[in-house]
Amino acid sequence: MKKTRMRWHFAAWLLIIALAVTGCTTQSANKGSNEPAVSQNPSASQNPSGSNAGASGNDRLEIVIARAFDIQGLDPGFLTENAQVVDNIFDTLVKRDTDMNLVPGLATSWQAIDELTWEFKLREGVKFTNGEDFNAHAVKYSLDRVLNPDNNAPTRSYVSTVSEVKVIDDYTVHVITKKPDPLIPVRFNRYPTQIVPPKYVEEVGQEYFAQHPIGTGPYKFVEWNKGSSVVLEANEEYWGGSPTVKKVTFRSIPEASTRVAALLNGEVDIITAVPPEFRDRIATSGTARLSEVVRAGNTVYVGLKTDREPFNNKLVRQALNHAIDVKAIVEQVLQGAAVETDSLIGPKDFGYAGEYDRYEYNPEKAKQLLAEAGYPNGFSATLDTVNWYIKNLDVAQVIAQQLKAIGVNITVNNVESTVYRTKVPSGEQAEMYMLGWSSTNTLDADAAIYSVLHSSDPYSTYSNPEVDAMLDEARSTTDEARRKELYKKIQEIVLEEAPRIFLYQENQYYGVSQKLDWEGRIDTAIPVFTMKAK
Amino acid sequence: MRQYLFKRFLQSLLAVLGAVTIVFFIIRISGDPARLMLPPEASEEQVQNLRESLGLNDPLYMQYLHYLADLVRGDFGKSLYFKDSALELVLERMPATLELALWAIAIAVVAGVLAGIISTYKRNSLADYLINAGIFVAQSLPVFWVGIVLILIFAVELKWFPTSGNVGWKSIVLPAVALAFYPIAPIARTLRSSLIDVMNQSYMLTSRAQGFSLMKSIWKRGLKNAFLPVITVISMEFGVMIAGAVVTEAVFSWPGVGQLIVQAVNNRDFPLVQACVLVVSVLYILLNFVTDMIYLWLDPRIKVK
Repeated sequence: MKKTRMRWHFAAWLLIIALAVTGCTTQSANKGSNEPAVSQNPSASQNPSGSNAGASGNDRLEIVIARAFDIQGLDPGFLTENAQVVDNIFDTLVKRDTDMNLVPGLATSWQAIDELTWEFKLREGVKFTNGEDFNAHAVKYSLDRVLNPDNNAPTRSYVSTVSEVKVIDDYTVHVITKKPDPLIPVRFNRYPTQIVPPKYVEEVGQEYFAQHPIGTGPYKFVEWNKGSSVVLEANEEYWGGSPTVKKVTFRSIPEASTRVAALLNGEVDIITAVPPEFRDRIATSGTARLSEVVRAGNTVYVGLKTDREPFNNKLVRQALNHAIDVKAIVEQVLQGAAVETDSLIGPKDFGYAGEYDRYEYNPEKAKQLLAEAGYPNGFSATLDTVNWYIKNLDVAQVIAQQLKAIGVNITVNNVESTVYRTKVPSGEQAEMYMLGWSSTNTLDADAAIYSVLHSSDPYSTYSNPEVDAMLDEARSTTDEARRKELYKKIQEIVLEEAPRIFLYQENQYYGVSQKLDWEGRIDTAIPVFTMKAK
Repeated sequence: MRQYLFKRFLQSLLAVLGAVTIVFFIIRISGDPARLMLPPEASEEQVQNLRESLGLNDPLYMQYLHYLADLVRGDFGKSLYFKDSALELVLERMPATLELALWAIAIAVVAGVLAGIISTYKRNSLADYLINAGIFVAQSLPVFWVGIVLILIFAVELKWFPTSGNVGWKSIVLPAVALAFYPIAPIARTLRSSLIDVMNQSYMLTSRAQGFSLMKSIWKRGLKNAFLPVITVISMEFGVMIAGAVVTEAVFSWPGVGQLIVQAVNNRDFPLVQACVLVVSVLYILLNFVTDMIYLWLDPRIKVK
C-alpha cells in the first residue's frame, strides 16, 4: 500500500514540475506575445482565411515573415548575418528602389567632387525614433564605429576603401577614400553604413544596443524573443511617410517544409528560401503564391586548382567544360531553379555584358581535347561539394557521371558546411570544388568576381597577372565606360582560360500570401515599408 | 549516506569536467570561428585581428587553462555571436526544452504503460501482436518524418494546431507527440517483459488463487513490482530528450536548447557550445541521481553501501 502511494507521489511530482515549467514559459511567451499570425483573433491562427494581411474589419495590417535563420544581433554595424530585419529599423544614405536604381535615402544627393572625395548632402529634419536628431555627426559616428580596427566589425571589409568621414556642416559630409572608389554610393546602400543614434549608443553601450536597436527607419523595434522572433511596429513619424504595414514579426523556422506549411496554413505571410520542390505546392495552394527572382542567387561553378596537374593545362580545363551538359542539369536536376550561364557577372550587376555560349556540350570534342593535352585515357580527381547550393550533391554526382563518359573518374566528397567555410579560404579543398558567388552586397562586377579571380584573394585558385591588373584598375577608376570595358575583357580571358567549369546562376523563391502585394528583390532585402494589402 | 552523497558529488564533478574538456578540444580542432564570423571578402589581416582579439591565437592548453580559471570564478564566457553571457543564453532556452521533454515523456509513459499492460494481459493474442508491431513501427520512424506528417495532417489539413513556434498550449502538442513516438517502445517492452517475469512469481499466483482477476492482479500487485526497470528506461529516455530534442525543435521551430546547440556548433561559437554542454551534462547527472534516489525510495531491498 505504501509503495503505491509513493508511486502516485512520484507521478504527481512529475506533473507539478511539468505544470510549473509550462507556467513559466507560457508567461514569457505572453510577455513575448509572439502570436503566429497576422490577426488579433487567436482562433484565426487555425484558419487560413483568418490571416488579415488584407485585413477584414478594423484593419491594422500586421504581417509575419518567416525566415530560415535565427537572429543573433540587431546592430547593423556588427551583423554576422544578412540584414533583412535591421534594414527595416535603420536607414542608409542611399536606397534602392524596386528596380534596383539608387535613390535618395538619408542623403538627398551625392556626387564625386574629386578623385578621392564624395560629397553627400543629408536630409534635414529627420529624427531617430528616440527623438535624437539625425545629422552629419551621426553619419560620421556610425562609420567610425565600423572603420575602427579595434572594434573588429565583421563587415569592415565592405567599407575598407573609406579612410575618413569629414563633417563639413550639419547636413553635409565628405567621404574620403584611400583610392578612387567608384562604388561609394553603392556601399552607402548596405547595412554596415546604416546610421545609428550616437548619443543613445554611447549611453546604453554596444551590447545593449544590439538587443534594443533604435534607428531612423520605417519600423521601431518592439521586442526580440530569442530563438523565435523579432517584432517591429510602424514608425508613424517616418520621413518617408507612414508605413501601410503596422506591425511585422520576423520568425525563424529553420525547416523548409514547416516554413511552407506555416505559409499555407496562414500563420505567416511571407517565407524566404523556398526549396524548388515546394514551388508547385505553393503556386497551386490558392492561399499563397510564388515570387520568383530570376538569377538573384549564387553563380555556381566548379573551381579548378589551376596550379595542380592536370588542371594546369588549359586544354584539360576546356575539355571539362565541353563534357558537362549544363542544360540537362538545370532542367532535370534543378527543375529549372537556376539559369545556365557562362557569364561571371549577373544580368543585374554593373558590368554584365550578355551571355557567351563558349562551351557547347560535346563529349567527343572533350575527349579530343583531353587527348591533345596528353590524357587520352583520362585521369582521376576529387570533387568537393557543400550543401550551400540547391541540390548540390545531386549536381556533383551528375557531373561525376558525365565526366566519366570522357574517362575522368571523379570521387565526390560532400564536406560539412562549417568545415568547408574554413577549408576553402585556406586552400585546403580538393583540386575540384563547387563554389557559388553572389554580388548582392553591391550588385557590381567587382563583388561578383574580384574575390574568386584575383590571385591575392583567399577564395581564388586562379592566377593571371593580366587579370589581376585589370581587376585592380576596374576597382579604382570612376570612369564607368572604362570599367565596363575592363570587365568585358576579363570575362573573355577567363572564359578562354577556363579556370572553372561554368555552370549556372540560381534563382530565389519566396512564398507570399495572396493578400499581400510584394515581390522578392534581387538584393535580397525585404523592405516591409513597400508592402501593401492586395 | 552522507559519504555516499559526497562520493556521488565528486563523481559527477569529474563527469562534467570530462564532458566539457572533450568538447573544448574537439570543437577547437574542427573550425575557425573568426573565419566564419567574417564575410568571405574579409582580408587575411582582418581574420588575424579577430582571432587575436578572441584569444584564439594562444596555444590550446593556455586557452583551456583560461577557460577553467574563468569557470571556477563562475564566468562561463560570452557568446561570440550574441555577445551575451553564454550561460544566460542557455538557461533562457532551457525551460522550453524541459517543457517539451516533460510533456513528451508524459505522453510516452501513458502510452507505453498502457501498451505494456494490454500486451501482457492479452499475451500472444492478436492485440499483443498488433501493439508490438505498432510500437515497433513508431520506434523505427524517424522523428523528422513523424514531425512533418503530423504538421501536414493536424496543422495543414485539420487545422487543429499551429505548425510551429511556441504560442500557447496548442503549439506544444505536435512536437511533444512527435518526440514521444520513439520512447513508447522501450517503455512498453521493458514493462511487458518485467510484468511477465512478475506474473510467474508466487505472490501473483497467490493473488490469482485468492480470486482476483488477471487485470486486477496486474494492477494491484504486478505493476508496482514490475515498474522498477521501467523507471530506469524513462529516466534514460528523458535524458536523451533534454540533450537531443534537436531534430524535433528544428522541425517545429521550437525555441529550445537543441536549436541553440546546433546553431552554436555551426558557428563554432565556442563559449556557447561549452555552456550548452555543461548545462546539459549537469542536468543529465542530476537526473541520474534523482532516478537512483527514486529507486532507493521505491525498493527497500536496495541499500546504500
